[in-house]
This record gives sequence, structure tokens and C-alpha cells, in this order.
Amino acid sequence: MSFFRHLDTKGPAEMGAVLEAIVRLSTLSEERILELVSEGGLEDAFPFEPNTEELPADSVAEEDLQEASVKSLNRVGREELIQACLPNEGSRRRIERLAAELARQEEILRAADLRD
Amino acid sequence: MESNPTRRFVRRAPCKSNPARRVDIRITDMRAADAAWWDRKLGPYHRLDRTRADRRWVWSALLPFCRVIQQRKQRTCRALVIWARDGRRFVRVGMSIVIEDYPHVDVTDRSHSNFVWFISAADSDVLKYRHGVSDPPSLGRVLIDCALVSSEDAGFEGRISLHASLDGGQRLLDFYLKRGLIRLAETAQLPVSVRRRNDGRFFYANPSVANSLARDLDPDR
Repeated sequence: MSFFRHLDTKGPAEMGAVLEAIVRLSTLSEERILELVSEGGLEDAFPFEPNTEELPADSVAEEDLQEASVKSLNRVGREELIQACLPNEGSRRRIERLAAELARQEEILRAADLRD
Repeated sequence: MESNPTRRFVRRAPCKSNPARRVDIRITDMRAADAAWWDRKLGPYHRLDRTRADRRWVWSALLPFCRVIQQRKQRTCRALVIWARDGRRFVRVGMSIVIEDYPHVDVTDRSHSNFVWFISAADSDVLKYRHGVSDPPSLGRVLIDCALVSSEDAGFEGRISLHASLDGGQRLLDFYLKRGLIRLAETAQLPVSVRRRNDGRFFYANPSVANSLARDLDPDR
């Protein structure tokens, strides 16, 4: 669970919200998450800000592309990629939207459980 | 027919405008900058196309989200970018996120598979007219193939599973059927850990289908 080590629970409130979102949203099935994303609800449900300051170039030379291997990434490789997309600070409004979305998700889950 | 765990990702794909011709492609691991580029440079155009299942996907959020959610579930995600040659340089033309080591949706085969979670190909007209790409590739089979060969390498004999987004309607079901995947019967049970009702939109490849699909692309690896 190395990702969670990087989240400073005594840090800004936004980090706590991200952690809470992960805990809550990880109870959803992959199919339900696909639906949530397709409905356009992900940005509200998950208050991550990409760490990219500037957009990369539209095109690159072949020698600058690091081709992927079919082999699964090792732990270090995975951690590097996760680190590279850790969140910047989000706004309080996003967190409020998150809370509302989580409440909505819980209702959906509850309804789905009843239906199943 | 046995799977071939030594296969690598494909390096050529058919041209969209002329399938007899091939375009060089390369595959890299996805980084936050790739997702940001996709959202900014292609996302606004994709959003206008109401037939696209991915029109509201925001890759900048999707990428970290998928990685950490699956890490919490003690699984791993593989996110890839497909690049196509345009002259002497390469441009981003496809994106995919696959969950590694996922329960195979066909419960009569108690194996594991790779679950194709999110795949997206850039609109060829947007590539052509907004980004000046002269020969946009056709990526449907390439996106499936990435998951197949990773599954072979992981020892799952090419087994893959996926759920066709409801947003994609009948068009998306036809897309996967046309690419040779098997549609899970709506009456079939799902693995207990998938925890959802089967809505008839799950697809899979067994080892035989996987090997056949992958073999078709072997000349382009």
C-alpha cells in the first residue's frame, strides 16, 4: 500500500478527502466505475489534480519514446508512475462536490444491493 | 492452439483509409502528461460526438484514479498510450487502462484474466484535420491485442474480459463482436468477486480465441 504512505493524513484537508474518496469508491465494481466515468462524474467524485504544469509536445521523435514491454511493471516502475500523478492542492468547492457525490454513490449502492 | 507468451506489442496497424496499408505504431506506458495532452487536444472534439462511449472520460483523473483504486483492491493497472508515425515523428492516437489479474468473467473457466477497463482511439478526422496526421491508424484490434499479449505473458493464456459501457449502446456491442470477442450470455453468472448483475454487456476471450486474434496480428509485431 505504498501509495497511501505518500498521503499525509495530517496534511491539507484535500488529501484526507482524496483518501476518503479512494476508500469509498473502491467499494464500487469496475462496471459501476465505468458507468460513473461515462456519466462524466469522475472529476467530482475524485478530487485529483494532475501534476502536469505544461502540456507536452504534440509529437515526439522515435528515439524519445520509451517503448513499453508486455511484461507487467515491477513495483518500482508502478510506484514511479503513481508518484508522477499525485494530486496538487484542490479547492474546497471540489471537496464539497465530492461529499455530495459520495452520498449519491452510497444511495446507488444501497439501491443496487436491494435490487440484487 | 496454445498461447504464445513471447509475443510483444504490435508495431504496425492498418490505415483507417486503406486497411491494406500499414502505419508504424509504438506503445508506451501512460504518464500524467499524456493524459493531460489527450484531455486538452482531443477531449473537446470527442465530447461533441454523441456516439462515442468515451466522450465524457477525463483521462487526467482516470489515470491516477484507476491506479490507486486498484492498488487498494490489491490489484495492479496497466495504462498504455499508442502512438502513430506521422512523417518522422509520432503522435498519440490511443489510450488504454487494463486491470491485471482479474477474475475471468466466464465462471466455467476458473482462471484469471486481464480486464480491459478503458480503451479509446482518437477520432481519425480530428487527427487528420486538427493535428495534420496524414494516415490515422485503425486501432480497434490493437487495443484488444495489448490486453491479450499482456495476459499471455502473465500466464493467463490470453484470457481477457471487459464490460461494454452502456453509453456505447448497440454500436459498442457490435464493435466487440466484430473483433471476435465472445459475448457472455445474459443468463450466465459472474464471478462472486465481480459483485454485479450480468447485464448482457460482458465480453471475453478464451485461450483459443485469444490465440487466434493475436496470431492474426503477429506479422505486425
